Amino acid sequence: MSKKWFALIVLLIIAMLAVACGGGGTTQPEATASTGGEDTTAMPTEEAVMEEPTEAATEAVPEEATTAATEEATTGATEEATTAATGDVIEMSLMGWSSSDAENVRLQEMVDTFNDANPDLHVTLNQVPDYDTALQTAIAGGSPPDVFYIDSFKLPDYVAANALMPIGDQMENADDFYPSLRDAFTIDGTFYCPPKDFSTLGLQYNTDMFDAAGLDYPTADWTWDDLRAAAEALTDADAGVYGLTLSADFARMIAFVYQAGGTVTDADFTTMTLDTPEALEAAEFYINLVTDGFAAAPADLDSGWPGEAFGKGQAAMAIEGNWIASYLTDNFPDLNWAVTEMPAGPGGDATMAFTVCYGVAADAANPEASIRLANWLTGAEGMAQWTGLGLAMPTRQSLSDGWLAEYPDLEPFLAGADYAHPWQFRPGFQDVLDTINAGLQQAFTGTYTADQVLGEAQEVGNEVLGGQ
Amino acid sequence: MAAMSGIKGEDRERAIAGWAFMSPTLIIFAIFIIIPIFFAVYISLTDWNGISPPSDAAFIGFKNYRALLFQNGIRQTDFFKALKNTTYFALGVVPAQTIIALLLAVVVNQAWLRFKGFFRTTYYFPSITSSIAISLMFLFFYQRGGLINQVLSVITFGRWESVAWMADPRGLFHIMLEAVGITIRTAPDWVQAKVLGLTVWDWISGPSVALMAIMFMNTWTTVGTMMVIFLAALQGVPGYVYEAAQIDGASAWRQFRSITVPLLRPTLFFVITLGLIGTYQVFDQIYVMSSGGPAKTTLTVAYLVYRNGFTNSDMGLAAAIAILLFIIIFTLTMIQRRITGSEGDL
Repeated sequence: MSKKWFALIVLLIIAMLAVACGGGGTTQPEATASTGGEDTTAMPTEEAVMEEPTEAATEAVPEEATTAATEEATTGATEEATTAATGDVIEMSLMGWSSSDAENVRLQEMVDTFNDANPDLHVTLNQVPDYDTALQTAIAGGSPPDVFYIDSFKLPDYVAANALMPIGDQMENADDFYPSLRDAFTIDGTFYCPPKDFSTLGLQYNTDMFDAAGLDYPTADWTWDDLRAAAEALTDADAGVYGLTLSADFARMIAFVYQAGGTVTDADFTTMTLDTPEALEAAEFYINLVTDGFAAAPADLDSGWPGEAFGKGQAAMAIEGNWIASYLTDNFPDLNWAVTEMPAGPGGDATMAFTVCYGVAADAANPEASIRLANWLTGAEGMAQWTGLGLAMPTRQSLSDGWLAEYPDLEPFLAGADYAHPWQFRPGFQDVLDTINAGLQQAFTGTYTADQVLGEAQEVGNEVLGGQ
Repeated sequence: MAAMSGIKGEDRERAIAGWAFMSPTLIIFAIFIIIPIFFAVYISLTDWNGISPPSDAAFIGFKNYRALLFQNGIRQTDFFKALKNTTYFALGVVPAQTIIALLLAVVVNQAWLRFKGFFRTTYYFPSITSSIAISLMFLFFYQRGGLINQVLSVITFGRWESVAWMADPRGLFHIMLEAVGITIRTAPDWVQAKVLGLTVWDWISGPSVALMAIMFMNTWTTVGTMMVIFLAALQGVPGYVYEAAQIDGASAWRQFRSITVPLLRPTLFFVITLGLIGTYQVFDQIYVMSSGGPAKTTLTVAYLVYRNGFTNSDMGLAAAIAILLFIIIFTLTMIQRRITGSEGDL
């Protein structure tokens, strides 16, 4: 009697576990096919991602049947096996992040266009918040999405982990990509993934505030002195208005380092070069704008980021990338503003290029289909459709004229491509950024000098680079 | 199973049935708790980057622990900075939440109090609200033009100078020292000496303004839970003890000090232990409100684990920090238990 009970219960448990684990792989294809692609963008993995950042990642991933990425990848694998025989549609997932509703809509349109043109493939868009965590767990768990975004800053980490399939050279007309953007995704001679789009830093200015102060608008010929003089003239601290808003962020200050003629590391990333007089000059210029009271950090203007402070009219100028354009149009439609190129420093013109590529995992379930998708997305048709949103610029030189015709006001961002430096270092460089950003925050309150900020970063950077 | 072999007949059947009924929970517990713990210990001994399959990671022994504890460098500095911040956090929040919760519990336990249900619900409410939602709300309160500054401005008749709470990295003790004329420039040279990756001056900074802002919010959200625990214990104190004390002429304060507090001692230590564990693991508020900034003054140990594991792709190091955090909390809890044990005998 009792033995029977025991056996029954054990069997029951095993059955339950089997169903739970097998669910993703065996029962999903029908479900996916029947729900189609329409509702998948809505609510992907918010809880799943936020809930358990510190738990051991690999255990969690297979269990999370709710993670669309996992589902899709598993279905992809099962279906590919049967495709050859039956001619079924291959289910694929495209994982990325999104910053606005307009972006969501446009991405979905793009994916729909691709799906219509490729009846043998069905791509589902999967937008996740806290993207890096989600992608990392998906890859480590052995079920990566078919195609996914990779920021140029994160690329070295993924390459060092052998997580990427080098697909860059398999793109049609790969020479058409801007050389600097190819370089941003090329490590040790291998072009890993095709650039999706890019943005550069420019100088945004509030035309009404310049008019009111009787100042000439900034131009591409501006120097640091012009920037500082205008910031001083436009500041009215009593009214809480500043000439410029600057964040304690190395991703902005670094442009000034290059403008001063300095660099962050040597060309081979073997040693830090922030101990140079050029870097010091840049750091002092950047920090002094704030400590002299001509610029303010966004937090001091009740804003989450410089774009918000600029949009609210609390700062007459800001230094941001293309993304600020659509943000301002959406949130501050009445703001009169324009953009020009970054001012030149003692070392000439320089700006930063931020770019993202479409990556395919080294252990991709459908390598050919994934490459086809990446190729289409970065091809003339897909990229024109995507960059037509104006959020970021096409990475193909052949498309720049068309983009410019559509967005003539944003020309300075594109002009910056000629002298932009990629935002990319080496694995582990996040420690250097954290150190320098922490130092900048101290410097903005006057407790640190520019020397101290750079000194600490130099030390940490050499430790990171030396440990490679 | 060895213990079971001595059991005969029906008892044995019952034992088997018992284990069988427990097995779903035990299996789930093993999958989600036990195995991950051992996995984390293993990972902490490797250089796993968190991206490639864990089997590819190289075994590096105690290198991660050495970097965190003994080697001069950014790992050690960050770890002890996080530990310092977390300790200040615990030292501020645990006493505050314990005392406030006890006082609230005593008040809402009074027979004369009307609308008891209302007050109890109100005080408990923050505890059951999502900490993410609360954190986002407080982010607005803490802005320069936010509610907190406005209230302070009103009650000081406009003399209050607005503070961007979440952007201020100055430490409490540094501010106090500055008030008496001691700054980093006027302090004696020995404060520049480095102890465990931080200068003495850094160690004695006290919680930064931003960290204190989060501590205040954390206290507010946890007080409700602690109050309910105290309330349950208070209701277990028989009324005749107080009646006897009243007959002896004890004042209300005397009754609180000589009856309530001693009888609540086990609960008190329970609450303090819970508080210590909770504060040493603080993560979500940091994640939402400050990401460790400004100037790493709100970097906590739990947040450092996340930061290393996911932003910096160094899961081995992250696991090592997590294990060290476990050891710290475990030690603190053991010390707590010691104190509870010896005090309990009194």
